[in-house]
Amino acid sequence: MRSFLSTAIFVFAAAVSAVSTAGNRLLVVLDDVAEKDNYKQFFGDLRERGYQITYDTPRSEHVKLFHLGERTYDHLVLLPAKVKALGPNLTPNILVDFVNADGNILVALSSTTPASSSLTSLLSEIDIALPAERTGTVVDHFNYDTVSAPETHDVLVLDAPTSVRPGLKNYFDVSGVLSFPHGAGHTLGAGALLTPVIRAPSTAYSYNPKEQAEVVDPEDLFAAGKQLALVSVFQARNSARVAVVGSAGMLQDKWLDAKVSRPDGKKVKPENREFAKRISGWAFQEIGVLRVNNIEHQLKGDNETNPEIYRIKTDVSYSISVSEYSWNAWEPYNLPANDALQLEFSMLSPFHRLDLKPLSVSDSATVYGTAFTLPDQHGIFNFKVNYKRPFLTYVEEKNTVSVRHIAHDEWPRSYVISGAWPWISGIGATVTGFVGFCAIWMYSKPVEGKTKRK
Amino acid sequence: MSVQWQRATLIVKDAPHRPRSVDQAHYVPQAPSCPQLRVWRFRGHSRRIKIKVSPLHQPSGQPSPVVVANMTTEAPTRPEGVNTKSTRTLLRVVILLFIAGAAISSRLFSVIRFESIIHEFDPWFNFRATKYLVANGFYKFWDWFDDRTWHPLGRVTGGTLYPGLMVTSGAIYHALKALTIPIDIRNICVLLAPAFSGLTAYAAYLLTNEMTTSPSAGLLAAVFMGISPGYISRSVAGSYDNEAIAIFLLVFTFYLWIKALKLGSMLWGALCALFYGYMVASWGGYAFITCLLPLHAFVLICMGRYSTRLYVSYTTWYALGTIASMQIPFVGFLPVKTSEHMPALGIFGFLQLIAFIEYVRSAIPSRQFQTFLVTILVATFGVGLIGLVGLTSLGYIAPWSGRFYSLWDTGYAKIHIPIIASVSEHQPTAWPAFFFDLNFLIWLFPAGVYMCFQDLRDEHVFIVVYALFGSYFAGVMVRLMLTLTPIVCVAAAIALSSMLDTYLSAKSPDPKEVELAAEAASKKPPKPSTGLRGSEKPTIGIFHVSSKFVVVASVVVYLVMFVTHCTWVTSNAYSSPSVVLASRMPDGSQHIIDDYREAYQWLRQNTKKDAKIMSWWDYGYQIGGMADRPTLVDNNTWNNTHIATVGKAMSSREEVSYPIMRQHEVDYVLVVFGALLGYSGDDINKFLWMVRIAEGIWPDEVKERDFFTARGEYRVDGEATETMKNSLMYKMSYYNYHSLFPPGQVSDRVRGVRLPDQGPVLHTLEEAFTSENWIIRIYKVKDLDNVGRDHAAVAAFEKGQKKKKASKKRGARVLRVD
Amino acid sequence: MAPKKNARDRPTTPTPAVAAAQDAAPAASSPAPAPAAKTSTKGRANWDEVMLNIYQYYMKETPQRTKLIDVFLSFLVVVAALQFLYCVLAGNYPFNAFLSGFCATVGQFVLTVSLRIQTTAVNKSDFPSVSPERAFADFVVCSLILHFFCVNFIN
Repeated sequence: MRSFLSTAIFVFAAAVSAVSTAGNRLLVVLDDVAEKDNYKQFFGDLRERGYQITYDTPRSEHVKLFHLGERTYDHLVLLPAKVKALGPNLTPNILVDFVNADGNILVALSSTTPASSSLTSLLSEIDIALPAERTGTVVDHFNYDTVSAPETHDVLVLDAPTSVRPGLKNYFDVSGVLSFPHGAGHTLGAGALLTPVIRAPSTAYSYNPKEQAEVVDPEDLFAAGKQLALVSVFQARNSARVAVVGSAGMLQDKWLDAKVSRPDGKKVKPENREFAKRISGWAFQEIGVLRVNNIEHQLKGDNETNPEIYRIKTDVSYSISVSEYSWNAWEPYNLPANDALQLEFSMLSPFHRLDLKPLSVSDSATVYGTAFTLPDQHGIFNFKVNYKRPFLTYVEEKNTVSVRHIAHDEWPRSYVISGAWPWISGIGATVTGFVGFCAIWMYSKPVEGKTKRK
Repeated sequence: MSVQWQRATLIVKDAPHRPRSVDQAHYVPQAPSCPQLRVWRFRGHSRRIKIKVSPLHQPSGQPSPVVVANMTTEAPTRPEGVNTKSTRTLLRVVILLFIAGAAISSRLFSVIRFESIIHEFDPWFNFRATKYLVANGFYKFWDWFDDRTWHPLGRVTGGTLYPGLMVTSGAIYHALKALTIPIDIRNICVLLAPAFSGLTAYAAYLLTNEMTTSPSAGLLAAVFMGISPGYISRSVAGSYDNEAIAIFLLVFTFYLWIKALKLGSMLWGALCALFYGYMVASWGGYAFITCLLPLHAFVLICMGRYSTRLYVSYTTWYALGTIASMQIPFVGFLPVKTSEHMPALGIFGFLQLIAFIEYVRSAIPSRQFQTFLVTILVATFGVGLIGLVGLTSLGYIAPWSGRFYSLWDTGYAKIHIPIIASVSEHQPTAWPAFFFDLNFLIWLFPAGVYMCFQDLRDEHVFIVVYALFGSYFAGVMVRLMLTLTPIVCVAAAIALSSMLDTYLSAKSPDPKEVELAAEAASKKPPKPSTGLRGSEKPTIGIFHVSSKFVVVASVVVYLVMFVTHCTWVTSNAYSSPSVVLASRMPDGSQHIIDDYREAYQWLRQNTKKDAKIMSWWDYGYQIGGMADRPTLVDNNTWNNTHIATVGKAMSSREEVSYPIMRQHEVDYVLVVFGALLGYSGDDINKFLWMVRIAEGIWPDEVKERDFFTARGEYRVDGEATETMKNSLMYKMSYYNYHSLFPPGQVSDRVRGVRLPDQGPVLHTLEEAFTSENWIIRIYKVKDLDNVGRDHAAVAAFEKGQKKKKASKKRGARVLRVD
Repeated sequence: MAPKKNARDRPTTPTPAVAAAQDAAPAASSPAPAPAAKTSTKGRANWDEVMLNIYQYYMKETPQRTKLIDVFLSFLVVVAALQFLYCVLAGNYPFNAFLSGFCATVGQFVLTVSLRIQTTAVNKSDFPSVSPERAFADFVVCSLILHFFCVNFIN
């Protein structure tokens, strides 16, 4: 039974490896199955990349993310649906469990359809806040599309996303403009697991067209400018991913083809299709996936790899081999500029923190490594690589070794230490003196006896 | 000073010409008869004995020490024909064997009542270390770095333990294996203490025989030593602790010391040093010997009893013993670096000085000698004192360690070193404990010491010194009752045997003969007194059979009571392994409460091999021994900060504890909780010590005061302080406890209080295991939340509570900066 | 602590050392202690007498064999003093080496003194069970134990 299972898993894993590192079963939840025709290009791209797509509505009863405790889908796309809640099979708890079980979710919002309460709670659990009443439209009176929204200003024309901060890989740089029609913005909490991909231009803001049609009280403003995120990604500690796209329209065929222009610009075709590919590819673990192939540490001049115990103050080398998955193949991972892969040798706190240097590059992996001398402290230490960067799978590798003290026969012998010679000769003199004394004593004994008698 | 000295030396001057002991009187042919006579009369025997004994020894010249020992005990031989020397020896051997048998079998109560199991806490470590030694050999053991304790610091176990015990059992194991007797190492460990108690009884016999001429005293001492509860408490089967062999070594070393002192022999001194070395390898209590022998020597010198024999035996012992003790890695340079060892060194130097002065005194006339003496003494003492003070202040010599301070000032530890004070066996002794542990020996003890004054030879001075020191230390620390017990047994045996000898002699003295003897004595010129003034003994004899009968009968009654008491105490008080608890069912049958092993077994079978267990240090050795899992702290307590860290984690709020536990990679937390069963040795009762120890390191974060209510009460019920209720220990103890009871009936049977119906809530830990009687509770430390929430939020979310809307109607929102 | 120990040893040293020296040159012996006590005339007279007495007593009363012991003792004192001097001057870096070297010498010294005491006829009565032969055997055994420990300790 077990062997059957494992072979099944192996076959399965082999089948999916061509697509994503996390499997190819994709569930799309949308208001009405017929609505999928609006996303033909998007889903077509996905299918081309090898996904098996199932469409369903929240009202359906077959929607089951788990069967007997196992995930039934690897990825989930939540498109706007006109329901108050997503139903008993897609409660926030189930969705969180789905993420905890390594499932990936791509969420698309829309200002025209209020987000369901399940979705709001899911997002609030990962510290993404949606506008109150779950509706809000992002407008920008400077960066709107003059073609489709000359009056409402709710179709934004955005620059291609740039890196959030230096030292990161930019997977979403599509070199062009993006259109962002009828989108809902969101704000991000301070958590390190969240990364904004596209933030609103500084002139954009979010308002509720129903309540705040005339004027927006600054007190009631949801968010504006850079604080308003339009597309964000979240990576859980288990590297399951959640991507939030503020505008479902971005992915629709209508907007993939339409041309947009800024008030003072000319008409261009937005790069939405490429962006949709990248955001879905990232969310479904096709890019930005790191794999640690192998870790080796060994004593300098010793052949045994990964011994469990070292001695203090010995020289040790450490190497780690890392690959990155890029759409369809494992490639050697190269560090972005201004970034470093670091090794900590730590017990409670790091005793060493060293940059790992690339030692060799093969077809599918880069080997990083370093060598150092163990500290003069015995204990249970960890070789720890803690490499957590936005957009990249978290790498946290801990190899525990014991570092022992110097054994009784590993100290230098006294005769090696020149300082001890006087005392060695002292003992020598004493012993020699003793032997000589004993000899003379015994030799002189009969004489002694005679003298005594005299 | 010089005047005193003169007096002392004057007495010393006489020393060589005066027989000092009875033994000498035997084989020094020209010895005057008066001291002998005196002794015999004290024994209450007629002169006939002297006549019989003397010819026996005189022709033989100088007998070997062993023979001397035998003769000493045989001195007051009764003249019946059957009592030849060989039958007596045989009888004695048989009696000693029986005593050893009794000593061993009374210690087997724990095996009979429970099972063959290692007891308590420390023995579990010793057992584990022994297994390691047997499995890996001596050198591996010597260099053992233990990465399964004190996580993540590890412990250099090989260099921080006294290896004597383990090596002894290992040697026995291999010896038996070589003899093709396969035996489980556990059984050797369990039975080692009883086996050595038999040897201790023999050692007590030898020691007592050095003190007195009475043949019965040694045997009585052996019996007392064998069954006195004070010693049994540390040596029942399964109590595999250092004391198991150390007490034997203690007594035997003292015996060898007395022997060396009496004979002035280098060889005995060397033997004494070797056994001292063995003792050092076995028990930290060796410092008792290190201090007692110099003290004895010092007292002898002050009494003007310096002799060349003292010089030979002491210097031999010190020179060899010190270098021997330095071979143990744990001791290392301590003998020359710490104050505890300085008295021995000081006396060593002092003896050199005296020996030299003695030599010079024999060379030159006394007036010149005085000048010489004063100059030398002043110079030496000045230099010595300055040297000692200077070196101590410069840090070359460590001042007294904390444990020793606590011996002088019983309050010291409580204020400065809570970790020492928290151990129950370091508490001052309660008075009833003396009677409980020693029964009627405790009031025979002063009598025995008094008898030593009567005939104050060098070895009797030792008894007196030992008695004083032993009593003081036993009063200060419960644990040191153990060092007092041997001397109590010896002294009591001396007292009791002299009483029995007097009252049991079948023959009443003839009053006329006594008068004659008294006259004869008065005619003699006053002789130099060896004992204290006033210790001249009048002739004693019991003239009436009825008084003999009454006294003997009452002594017998006491002895019988003593034996019953010892048996009762052994079987009821000292045999519990404390790993397994016994209780009585309503119908009187015994019910075994086995929660500890249940929990440790659970850990062993359900957690991964390197799951780190955090618990209070008391249980560290047991977890290591029974569950075989790494622990954060254990009974070795070598790192106070690490223990305080655990104390802080236990006594703080979850939010504070959780990062500490994460940092130390803790997987499980184990607490002992006795409220359901009324088991008072649980962690809530020890909790204040954790708080105190943590407060010692983090006075700002943990405050003992916060655990007491405004009225200064330590409460665990609804009135408990917030700090108490929020502490991790409280939460872990009472988590889910209320669910056992109907509402309003939740009660704690240890503290005897009603608890609130609403139990504490735990977020960062989840209950993993609770034993049958709730004594052991094990919690698993939760991982960080996968999506980055804090644990309270997770719990709220899982209960279905909506997260509060953070966005609206708040002042400044937290802005995201990156 | 070591210095203190030595300080106490030192008083012991003059006797044999001085005596041994005086064997060779008796004439040179008396002036040597004199300058030390120049401060008081009374003291000087006393010290001269004391030394002289000791010397005379020693030469007269000491048997040949005991002198042999004394030679050995003075040798040990010299060795101990040299070691100690080196320790003071050069530091005690391998502390175990210093300890074992010094302890070996000091231990040998006290053992030899013990032998001397036990073989001296005057002390006979103190050691009824120890004949000179026995004393020598004891001495050898103890010394061997001592050397074993010291060599083991110096590693």
